[in-house]
Amino acid sequence: MNKKMVAVLVSAMMTMGLLTGCKSSDSQSGDAEYTIGISQFAEHGSLDNCREGFIEGLKEEGIEEGENLKIEYKNAAADQGTAKQISDTFVSDKVDLICGIATPSAQAAFNSAMNSDIPVIYTAVTDPAEAKLVDDEGNPVGEITGTSDELPIKEQLEMIREILPDAKKVGILYTTSEANSVSALSTYKKLAGDYDLEIVEKGVTQTADISLAAEELLGEVDCLTNLTDNTVVNSLATILDKANAQKIPVFGSEIEQVKLGCLAAEGLDYIKLGKQTGKMAAQVLKGEKKASEIKYETISEPGLYVNTKAAENLGITIDESLVSQAVESFDEISAS
Amino acid sequence: MNLIVTTVEQGLIYGILALGVYITYKILDFPDLTVDGSFPLGAAVTAALIVRGVNPYLTLLISFGAGVLAGVCTGLIHVKCKVRDLLSGIIMMTALWTINLRIAGTANVPIFGEESIFDNDNMNGIFHGTLASYKVCVIVLVIAVIAKIVLDLYLKTKSGFLLRAVGDNEHLVTSLAKDQGNIKILGLAIANGLVALAGCIFCQEQRVFEISSGTGAIVIGLASVIIGTSLFKGLTFMKATTAVLIGAIIYKACVAAALKFFEPQDMKLITAVLFLVILIVGMERKKKVKGNA
Amino acid sequence: MLELRGITKYYNPGTVNEMCLFQDFNLTVRKGEFVSVVGSNGSGKTSMLNILCGSIPVDSGRILMDGEDITRMKEYMRNRRIGRVYQNTALGTCPSMTILENMSLADNKGKFYGLGRGIHKGRKEHYRELLRQLNLGLEDKMDVKVGTLSGGQRQAIALLMSTMTPIDFLILDEHTAALDPKTAEIIMELTDRIVKEKRLTTIMVTHNLRYAVEYGNRMLMMHQGKCILDRAGKEKEETTVDMILNLFNEISIECGN
Repeated sequence: MNKKMVAVLVSAMMTMGLLTGCKSSDSQSGDAEYTIGISQFAEHGSLDNCREGFIEGLKEEGIEEGENLKIEYKNAAADQGTAKQISDTFVSDKVDLICGIATPSAQAAFNSAMNSDIPVIYTAVTDPAEAKLVDDEGNPVGEITGTSDELPIKEQLEMIREILPDAKKVGILYTTSEANSVSALSTYKKLAGDYDLEIVEKGVTQTADISLAAEELLGEVDCLTNLTDNTVVNSLATILDKANAQKIPVFGSEIEQVKLGCLAAEGLDYIKLGKQTGKMAAQVLKGEKKASEIKYETISEPGLYVNTKAAENLGITIDESLVSQAVESFDEISAS
Repeated sequence: MNLIVTTVEQGLIYGILALGVYITYKILDFPDLTVDGSFPLGAAVTAALIVRGVNPYLTLLISFGAGVLAGVCTGLIHVKCKVRDLLSGIIMMTALWTINLRIAGTANVPIFGEESIFDNDNMNGIFHGTLASYKVCVIVLVIAVIAKIVLDLYLKTKSGFLLRAVGDNEHLVTSLAKDQGNIKILGLAIANGLVALAGCIFCQEQRVFEISSGTGAIVIGLASVIIGTSLFKGLTFMKATTAVLIGAIIYKACVAAALKFFEPQDMKLITAVLFLVILIVGMERKKKVKGNA
Repeated sequence: MLELRGITKYYNPGTVNEMCLFQDFNLTVRKGEFVSVVGSNGSGKTSMLNILCGSIPVDSGRILMDGEDITRMKEYMRNRRIGRVYQNTALGTCPSMTILENMSLADNKGKFYGLGRGIHKGRKEHYRELLRQLNLGLEDKMDVKVGTLSGGQRQAIALLMSTMTPIDFLILDEHTAALDPKTAEIIMELTDRIVKEKRLTTIMVTHNLRYAVEYGNRMLMMHQGKCILDRAGKEKEETTVDMILNLFNEISIECGN
């Protein structure tokens, strides 16, 4: 009998919580001039940088958190259903704009906001066309636009050619279930021939497979290059360990990876990308342009990042002229 | 208000999944992990079909059929190859991961702008103006209630009786000159059919197929079943299937509440604690007839 | 007619725990016989029933049912013609289903379990009549879940259920052992009545020597996988509880107890 009471009480409390929950946030959103809901798909360094940059970008345009902006930040912990619930909550709270970080969150936000007039700004969506967020001509499919973190693959291949003039085979480790990786890989394969390089791919399905796959791949290639594959990037330390043991250079895809010990990257700075996104959001919030009138953007200019310490370890000399071109050059390897 | 509608929507979709889990967990006493694979299976089949312009209502049936197949496979592995129940489910779940990826083509298939069971001329004609925001909720409710009623009716047929008997007392089924293995396969088939049906609806509501959507589906299903059956144990007039549907809505409400008040990364822990509390409070372990003759 | 021919069965073959249960065991139960089987623990009584019903496989030998070889036949297939009641009162019924549902389920044995209604309304009065004959007051509790009933009540229902449909053989595995003396008496009388009414060929394993002597028309005593006593007809009628008890004592002395 007692236990039943507890059960009923628990469920009653939960339901009450739910009801009062909606109320309190409704009243709060009235205070600031703008309310933005940020829905981030997962806890991840690059995505966090995107968010940071986004807020900074808004600030540069005069929309500052705590001043005239209220931010509601929710993380879906990599669950698609939760992502939808988050954006539904934002829609019912009537936020002024939803920012979706990473593809599933962007898609969920678009889906939730479809029948409202709330604009959606996304970032870290590698292929907006594949994700059906733009039509075949590259125009937004609704009140939604943002930035893509498409990799500057051409520049990356050019850089590999320059640093390793004798390299023939480039290995790529990727997760078969990450749509972004699959599409980046096919671009790599398409372009590699132009630089007289051959791509050797190795797909994994989970973190547990990485050690073995990396070991196998390292036996066949002259260097590795990374995508923005979540599973692989999370295990970067393992991969670098194995590669260093065999003196095989690993190229990164963004600044954080170079800090961790990748030789070099012609890559993205997610903070920059976020900033760019924030400025787009500001335009929409201020009513200068509608989201549907803005085409999605990619990072204007990829930056070169090199790690001279990694080069030294590998016994590779990077041409001085190249180092001087780098946006940033690191002379130490930071622990992850 | 909107939030409550969304919660009910999501709850009912997972409620259909929970009906499937109810069959395996409560009736068959079979911890079936296939669910983590058959839920996205329904979604993958749906996305693949809708992209090719198949009638969205037809996808409900085809997804159900795909789920039935998955369930039959788990059953065959368990019954014919004599693999333990938990492992059979794990094997099938693992296999389905690849199968789902093959069916869908890629890990993420958006179906924005395509016709769906929610978005077509008929439904948009019926639900317009203020009704529009209840559209999804009403459609899901109708499907969930139909699924529930059909399941209730089935459990009262001769075949349904046998299904209930096999989870209760395998010996009796054998005594009745029936192969208990076949009955288990039948139960797993129906259960996974329902799970895939839920996946189909989920995919159309989310307007996207995502390979990871099945992760943790079994936990949601189990939680819903346990919450529902424990909370409404005393109410004899309420059918277990109804309790399960309500259980799923309560679970989703808890998730929504947790999203409001806690950090999202704490969600899984909160789920686990909630799960444990309900289990202890409910403390109704299945009294199964065991032992040899 | 049920026949066991040259049955050999080892438990845990090839291990240190290897144990020979039967070595060339033979038994023929003729049509219409009611055989009561006694014997000490581990003498192979229940194993013999399990072998007959197909619950455990044999190493060699043949099992014949009315001349047909059923050695390789699956347990559930054999059960088409066999009804079985276990010592464990829980094994014969479904606890989470009502009495009515249980009886309906059993009533359909041998037929197709399809999508027809599980409960045949027209048969309800028939079930009620069967229950009334038990004198346990169960006829008014048809919508009660069997799991809430006492062991004796469940066993009575199990006995009804296993003999509801036309079967030829009834296997009783210490089916009164878990019951209090009074209930055991009721169940035993009911058993006798059903066996006689339906002319079932019956094998009953029991530890109750009085039942073994009083009921049935043939009696076996088993010891270490062999029949050491087999009395039928007049010989059986003359057998007394004391004789059996003496025999038991002799065996025990032999074994060093």
